[in-house]
Order: sequence, then C-alpha cells, then structure tokens
Amino acid sequence: MSKRNTNADRFRKQAIATELEEPVTEARNLATKLGLEPYPVNYWIIDYDEMNELIAYGGFQSRYPHWRWGMQYDRQQKQGQYGGGKAFEIVNNDNPAHAFLQESNTIADQKAVITHVEAHSDFFAKNEWFGLFTSGRADEEQVNAAAMLERHARAIDEYMSDPEIDRAEVEKWIDHCLSLEDNIDQHQVFERRLDVDGPAVTADLDEDLAEKLDELELSDEIKGEVFDEEWLERLEGEDGGITFPEVPQKDLLAFVREHGKQYDPDAERAVEMEEWQRDVLDMMRAEAYYFAAQKMTKVMNEGWAAYWESTMMTDEGFAGADEFMNYADHMAKVLASGGLNPYSLGMELWEYVENTTNRQEVLEHLLRVEGISWRNLTDVVDFDDVRDQLEPPAELDSITSETIDDLATADVPDEWLDHEALELAREGEIDVDRYPWKVLTYEGLARRHYSLVKRQNRGFLRRVNQNELERIGRYLFDDARYSSVEEALAEVNYTAGWDRLFDVRESHNDVTFLDEFLTQEFITENNYFTYEHSKATGQFHVASDAAEDVKKKLLLQFTNFGKPTIAVYDGNYNNANELLLGHQYNGVMLDLGKATETLKRIFELWGRPVNLLTIVKEVNEHDIEVAKRRNREPEAEEQGKLIRYDGEEVTTEDVRWDTVEHLSADDVDYDTKPEDWLA
Amino acid sequence: MGLRDDLERFREVGEQRREDLADFIQYGELGSGRPDQINIPVKIVSLPEFEYDQRDQGGVGQGEDGTPQPGQPVGQPQPQPGDGDEDGEPGEEGGEHEYYEMDPEEFAEELDEELGLDLEPKGKRVIEEKEGPFTDLTRTGPDSTLDFERMFKEGLKRKLAMDFDEEFLKELCKVEGITPRDVFEWARNENIPVSMAWVEEAYSDVPESERGTWSSISEVEANVERESVQQQIQREGIKHVPFRREDERYRYPEIIEEKEKNVVVVNIRDVSGSMREKKRELVERTFTPLDWYLQGKYDNAEFVYIAHDAEAWAVERDDFFGIRSGGGTKISSAYELAAELLEEYPWSDWNRYVFAAGDSENSSNDTEERVIPMMEQIPANLHAYVETQPSGNAINATHAEELERHFGTDADDVAIAYVNDADDVTDAIYEILSTESESDE
Repeated sequence: MSKRNTNADRFRKQAIATELEEPVTEARNLATKLGLEPYPVNYWIIDYDEMNELIAYGGFQSRYPHWRWGMQYDRQQKQGQYGGGKAFEIVNNDNPAHAFLQESNTIADQKAVITHVEAHSDFFAKNEWFGLFTSGRADEEQVNAAAMLERHARAIDEYMSDPEIDRAEVEKWIDHCLSLEDNIDQHQVFERRLDVDGPAVTADLDEDLAEKLDELELSDEIKGEVFDEEWLERLEGEDGGITFPEVPQKDLLAFVREHGKQYDPDAERAVEMEEWQRDVLDMMRAEAYYFAAQKMTKVMNEGWAAYWESTMMTDEGFAGADEFMNYADHMAKVLASGGLNPYSLGMELWEYVENTTNRQEVLEHLLRVEGISWRNLTDVVDFDDVRDQLEPPAELDSITSETIDDLATADVPDEWLDHEALELAREGEIDVDRYPWKVLTYEGLARRHYSLVKRQNRGFLRRVNQNELERIGRYLFDDARYSSVEEALAEVNYTAGWDRLFDVRESHNDVTFLDEFLTQEFITENNYFTYEHSKATGQFHVASDAAEDVKKKLLLQFTNFGKPTIAVYDGNYNNANELLLGHQYNGVMLDLGKATETLKRIFELWGRPVNLLTIVKEVNEHDIEVAKRRNREPEAEEQGKLIRYDGEEVTTEDVRWDTVEHLSADDVDYDTKPEDWLA
Repeated sequence: MGLRDDLERFREVGEQRREDLADFIQYGELGSGRPDQINIPVKIVSLPEFEYDQRDQGGVGQGEDGTPQPGQPVGQPQPQPGDGDEDGEPGEEGGEHEYYEMDPEEFAEELDEELGLDLEPKGKRVIEEKEGPFTDLTRTGPDSTLDFERMFKEGLKRKLAMDFDEEFLKELCKVEGITPRDVFEWARNENIPVSMAWVEEAYSDVPESERGTWSSISEVEANVERESVQQQIQREGIKHVPFRREDERYRYPEIIEEKEKNVVVVNIRDVSGSMREKKRELVERTFTPLDWYLQGKYDNAEFVYIAHDAEAWAVERDDFFGIRSGGGTKISSAYELAAELLEEYPWSDWNRYVFAAGDSENSSNDTEERVIPMMEQIPANLHAYVETQPSGNAINATHAEELERHFGTDADDVAIAYVNDADDVTDAIYEILSTESESDE
C-alpha cells in the first residue's frame, strides 16, 4: 500500500539481506542433506506494514479488489496495535516459492523462519494434493500462482472500472461465488476446461428453436413476451423431463458455471450470465482449487515445517548458541498457543510417525533373535540396554574441527560420511565447527538424530503394548535370524523413521494423516476428549475420552474442509430447470440459518428457484422438559426437509423419509454422547 | 486497486451491514455505556456457507491436567484446528465480530430515521451574536451594497405597467371623425395607462391626408395587430428602464443570535430490593440509547445520575446501573434531589430531560402528594417514567398508573412507558422521544 522506496529504506533492507545471505544458502544445503526437496525460494525483506498487507492478501502481493482484504488488514492492524499479533513468516505455495521476512525480526527469528519455509516449500513441491492443482496443466509448466492471482486481480479490476459494469455488482457477484468456495471437488485434478455433465439435448433444442424464431423475424418485444424462456422450457418439458447430472456433482461452482444463469430483476426472469460474470466465476473457482490443497493439509504442512525447523534449529544448532534462547522462546510460544493448534498437533503427529516407525524397525529385529517372541519380549529384553546400544557413536554426536579425524577411524560406516566434504573440512574450506552436518550424508544425519534415543522419547520403546508386539511378531518370518540382541541391533536401519516421513508427506492429507496416525496412545497421552451439546442443560459437556470417539470427532472437522457435503442432484428439478441440491447427511445437521442464506446466494448464480434437501434433528419441547427433570438427554427425531428459495421467499417443508433416505449415510456416527450421559 | 481501496470498501460495506439499530438496542451488547462512543457489531466476518450446526457438531478439547470426567460442562467450545480456514496464519483466530463505531450524532440521525422521530433541539443560552448573510435591506447605504438587481426589477415592473401600444393608439387617431377625448376614453376602458396630453399630441401629429383612414374603431381593431408590452420588449429589447431613486435598496447583514443547544439529562433509577437483575438490565437498555440520542442531538450534554430507594443520592455513571440497595422506595426523594441539582442548570439556559425508571412501587400516597407536584414544579422539556416490571405481578405498584391518570396519555411534556421485556425497549424509546417532538409541531 505505502511503497516507501526511499534509498534509506532500500539500503536498510539491502543490509539485512546481505546478513541473511549465508543463512539462506546454508539452510538450503542443510535441508537438502536432510532429504528435503524444496522448490527454489525467493526471500524478500519487508517491513511491518508490508507484512500486514501481505497477510491481508493471503500471502500474495496483488489480489482482486474486494472488501474482505480490507477487513483482514483492519483486523491485522488492530491485533498488532493491541499487542500479540507479531507476524513472523509468510510463504506461498508457488514455484519458485516466495517467502517474506520481516525486517524487525531478530536474526534468530529469521533463521527459524528460513528453516520453516524450506520445509513448507518441500511440502508444496512433493505433496500429491498440491499436485492436483498443477498437473491439470503441462508438467513442466510452473505453478506460478502469483502470476495467476495477479492476472485475476487485473481482470477483475478492469471489470470494475468498466463504465458499462456496475462496480458494486462485480463485488456482489464475487461474494456469491465465495459463498461456494468450499463447494468444489477438491479430490479431483483441477481442470480449467469444465467437464460437467449436462443435458446435451437441451442445448440443441434451445438453439434450433432460437434459430427458427430468428427466421420469423419477430420483434424482440414479441419474442420476449410470447416466446420467452418459460415457453421454451415448457416445450422442452413436453419432450420428457431431462434429469441431469447423472451422478451427484460436488463441484457446485463448476455446475453453476456451466448451467447457471443470472436473475434479471427487471425482466423478472433468468437471463444468460454476462461474459464478465462467467469469467469471474472461473477465476474464483481456480482460486478455490489453488487454496484447497493448503486447507486440506494444514495440520500436516504446519507440523512438517515445525518438525524440520526444530531439527535444523535445535538439533543441528542452526541457531547460534547466543541465538538459541531467543529461538526456544519463540518456538514455545508458537507451539503452546492453546487448544489443538495445527502446529503442535501436526508436529506431535510427525514425531509419533517417526518414533513408531523406528520402534517397529527395532522390534522387528529383536523379534528375530533366537528365543525372543512377541509373547516374552518385554520380559527378556532389557530396554535400557537396548537404548544404550542405539545411542550414536560419540564421534558422530559431537563433530568439531579437532575430532573430524576420528570420524574416519572409529566405527563409523562409510556411508554416513560425505567424503568430499570431509576432505574440504580437513583443508579448512568448510567451517566444520559451525556446520558439522556438512561432513555427513543423509544416513549419517539420520543416525546422528535417531529419535528413539532423544531424551524426550526415552520411554517410547518400553511403552510398546502387547497388541502391537503381537501384530508385528505374529507374521514375521525368519524369526531366528540373530543369535543375540547385539547382533540384531547392528542390523537396524536408522533411516527407517525419516524414510517413512517422506513417504507420508507425499501421499497423505490431513484426513488420512489423522486417521492413520492418531492413536489411542497419542490421544490418551495428550488428554484429548470430545464434548457435545446437551439440549437438556443448554450447554456443552465433556462426552467421551475414548480414543475412537476423539478421533472421529476430530476427523469430522477435517473431512471436506470441516464442512457438510452438498451436491447437485438435479439441474432440471420440477422439470422447470430449478436446481436441486442434496445435503449428504452424516448424522450432523446443517446450520439451517446459514444454509438458507447460502441458498439465496446460489439463486443469484442459478437465476431460477433453488432447492435443498436435507435432514434435521427435531426434539419436541415436551421431551426436553421430561429429559430435564430426569437428567437425561432427549431423543431427537430425524426429519427430511426441503428448503426452497424462489427469489422472493424461503419455504421449508417436511418431506417423507423415502425422499431423503438416499442422502443419509448409515455407516458413520459422529455422536459421542455416552448412554448414561449426565445421569 | 489496492488495499487502501479495499479498506475503504470494507468500511462502506460494514456500515451497510452493521446490526440493525433496533435489534442492537433491544438485544445487543451496549458495551461499557460510555455516552460518547457506540460500538455496533458488524456481522460480516464471513459470507454465508454451508456449515454444520455447531451444537450438533460438538468438538474436541484438550485437558490441562489429565482428562476431565464425562458430563463436566466445558463452557464455550475451544477453537478447533479446522477453524479459521484460508491460509492458516497463526493468530488469525479471535475477533468474533468487527465493530462499527458510531458517534452519537450519527446514532441520533439513524434513530430518527429508524423510528421516524423528528426532535428539533431548542437553542437556549445566547453565546454570541454574529453577522449573518446580507439579506436585510435598507434605503441608504454604501454604493457597494446597492441591490441593483432589485432596482432593475422594480424599474422593469414600472415600465411594464406604464408602457402601452403607442402605434395602435396612433392608428386610432386616424379614425374618421374621432376626437382625442374618444380615443382617451376608449383607452381607459381598455386599461391602457395613457394620458390625455399624450393622446392630444398624437392626434395633432396625424397628417391631414391620413385622417379618415379607418371608418370606425372596430375596423382598426380588426386590421391592426395589437402588441403587448412584453412582445414589444421582446421585439425591440429594453432601451430604457426607468430607474427611480425610490427603488434603490441597500443590503445589510442580518444579526443572528447563536444559541447553544444545551441539554441536561437527569437519569433517576429505583435501586431498591425489588429491582432485580432483569429489571435493572431493562432500565439500562432504555436509558443508554436515550442518553446517546440526546448527546447526539445537542451541542452540549450533561448527565446527572440519581439512585434512590427511600432516600436519593447522586452517583457516577459507571456505578449507576450496577447499584443495588435494600431499603424501601420513595420516589419523591429523587425528585427533591433532582430539583436541587438542576439549580445549576437554569431553565432559561438549558433544555432539561428528567427520566425516571422503576417498577412502579412507591410508598403510599407519595406519588400523589409529592411526586406529581414536584414534576409539575420542575420545568423541563420532558418528564418521563419508565416502568420495568418483568415479573408483571406486583400488586401495589401503581406509580405509573397514577401518573397516567393525572397527566393523561397525551400530555406533551410527560411520557410514561412500559418495558416488560427487551422487545418493548424501542417502543418505549419511541414513546418517550416522540412525546416532545409532537409538541413541537
């Protein structure tokens, strides 16, 4: 907003940039050594105001004109003003990625941000869900999101400045589209060319008739009055009702883009969308798909960045000793910010994946020792002894310019060492005191940072339960390969944990990630519980601390962006080209107020009446009274509803169960209320 | 394009979408109630989307020391990791809604519009005299203030009144056998402002050869077109406008007395034991917007707060709505104190509003014997009593009733309003504020 490109300003930023050049280069080197494969990152030094602007714009420098950026900016400023809201980093998913460093950060903060950003950039590049957006185009083409958003910004700005188009109309249209930004098919590869099935016949019919009407050379007025669209539609109807789509369509934005119209209040009927309206719809849809990957992997992505930031900053000493306290303080604040924040949840889960994989690797070896089976393992194996043996050799633990010669002689396998770097270090070309990791390989670093021997994970190996042992041991072949524990442990693959991390970051999203790795052990250890609302007391109460309950409740918040699934069931409903949406009911009802408001917006994008089938839970007052007296929770009744908006009023009517039965899923249950709750 | 525009648009959009004023008064968070600042929540944080019903959805929490027991209430749900979508900047949470800030002037304006009020505050104390626009006129003055436009118009009017169709009269003089007296008399009949002397001169100017051109007056009328003065001016232009000294006017400035619109508002509240939480809240809901409104309407507003049970005492605003005491109720005590405190605000200089609220309970005969006479004695733009009686079953609560019996329902300086729940608040406010504006008409 305020581009104060004074010389002084530029020189100051230049100076900071120079100072950060080495950390940026070395962070990339370290990240690569650790096995990360980030997109190139361009770093920018910006001031506080510029940071606030970027945050308001969702991390990019230019966005289409819209009031909500103003709202976010306003909020950002107020947060900054009234303490707290210190902005640390922004990185956007792009190739090359762009990251922004605030000039007022301490050098320790900057390094933390840089390491964090490198991990994010790796995630953008390697996670398959991010790939969905890019692979719709030629593979070699770059993501270039910044360019896309800039293009959208310019196009929309042009529409807004067009004297033929009312600026407020454009903004309103954007608002309508944004109401549906989560109603896309985020599990599909993004296609710009829309492929939404519709009635092929309709188009032909429309065209034929339109042509014939043209031949009659009637005045527009007569055509409008006599042969209006309703007439055309009635005619189509006589040919037999056309029902489309064939399968329910989740991509509402695409559907209205292809088959929607706008409502013309003067003519009191639907008319074709303007060119600009369709164009804006396209742009909003593209942006929705672009940001979808971020929304779908928030926990994983933030956890991933926090995990590698911690590995680099703390374990590998990327922060200097003098900077470390500063950094630790920052990290503690980020991770501790209350409740289930995606940073701490994500990081804890990644550590859990690493630890369990490493533990399984160790156990598989121990179970192959003669005389050890899943039944007796915990009795015959001395876990303290095992852990001592898993400790990395002292030479690897502490590498200095004085000790590098020991590396080659001691019991350090060749594959752990980067011999080329070691040579350079001996010649003094590499500052090994500062960057000891330079002389190690991925394998060496994995050994050096082996998770099971870290202080915070000391009890992890011992905590293995009988079930897991049985699961691993029961189907293990070749179970007497080693004669001793020592022999078995010598064969342990120390990169197993990290290897697994990289696999998981490629193929998972938050839902699958939580589903697979949120275990009983994890939930119990972190005191998680579910809560539910009681109709009898009118407030929320703790409902359950059972792991499966916590997990399904949590998954509900991540599945489909934590939103109910809505799909198009009929684009020619009532045989009058009305839209019929269905809410795929999973046992949790819609917020009906918001649903109704959303329907009104969809009406603007469809131009004709819109309908929504849903299922609600109803409890009658009498039952509530009775339940209150008996300290029980009243039974709710499920009732099908059809909500309809015709441009003027909203009507809601009860429908028979068989009308909505197809929408109701009977294999899920997100209710975690215990039987004798509140008794 | 750019954030500054976006910010401006946000403010505009926020203005449009802030909570409806009537809803806000009845059910909204009135805030700390500072009379100079009004925060109205703006409901635009998110555009509508398909979402789960939050209650039906439930959630996941994390215990601090161990896991809490099932059944334990959890208060407000904790923020969930899936919440606050978009790009997941930390610290994006919080800020449930934005506030739209209004100043009292805007509030008063909006309330006028919303409730259809029209209260014109009266100016009282004269604070200065100043020269207004040059709209008064005098017959003498410096040349530069001569109202030439007026003089020209007057001259033109005179010309229109005096001029006549000379050509036609000259033709008339050519009628066979006509005398100047005939012409003059005909002209007078036609209301043509001509003098006998002019006619005689015109008659003698007619050459002998043209005498008898017309045989009769009606022949002239039939053949010579008459021209009105306006037509003549249009044809010839104004050659001469007769300016006269008597038309000269000189403009001089008006003297305007600037009166300050001062208001003092006395808020009286029954704080006795029968005024329970709900009643107290209703008083606050009614009084606070009234204070804002008057603050916005007047240049200078002072507030006096009086709490009373059987006795009355003056309090600060911050304490006013919170006080509870045990004693009985004697409403006249408050009016006595009000009369005393109002001495500082003489009626000649100040507009006065005296608002009292309570549940109509009063000690016996106090209303009739003391309160009503006091209300009649204390000069004010408006006396109002707000009865809050949410329980609706008080037996000896007749204060409002007695007032109404005495003053009637259409008194123009006494208003009685009943507030039984939040829905009644705007009606009560309307009742009170419209009482005075009606009297203005």
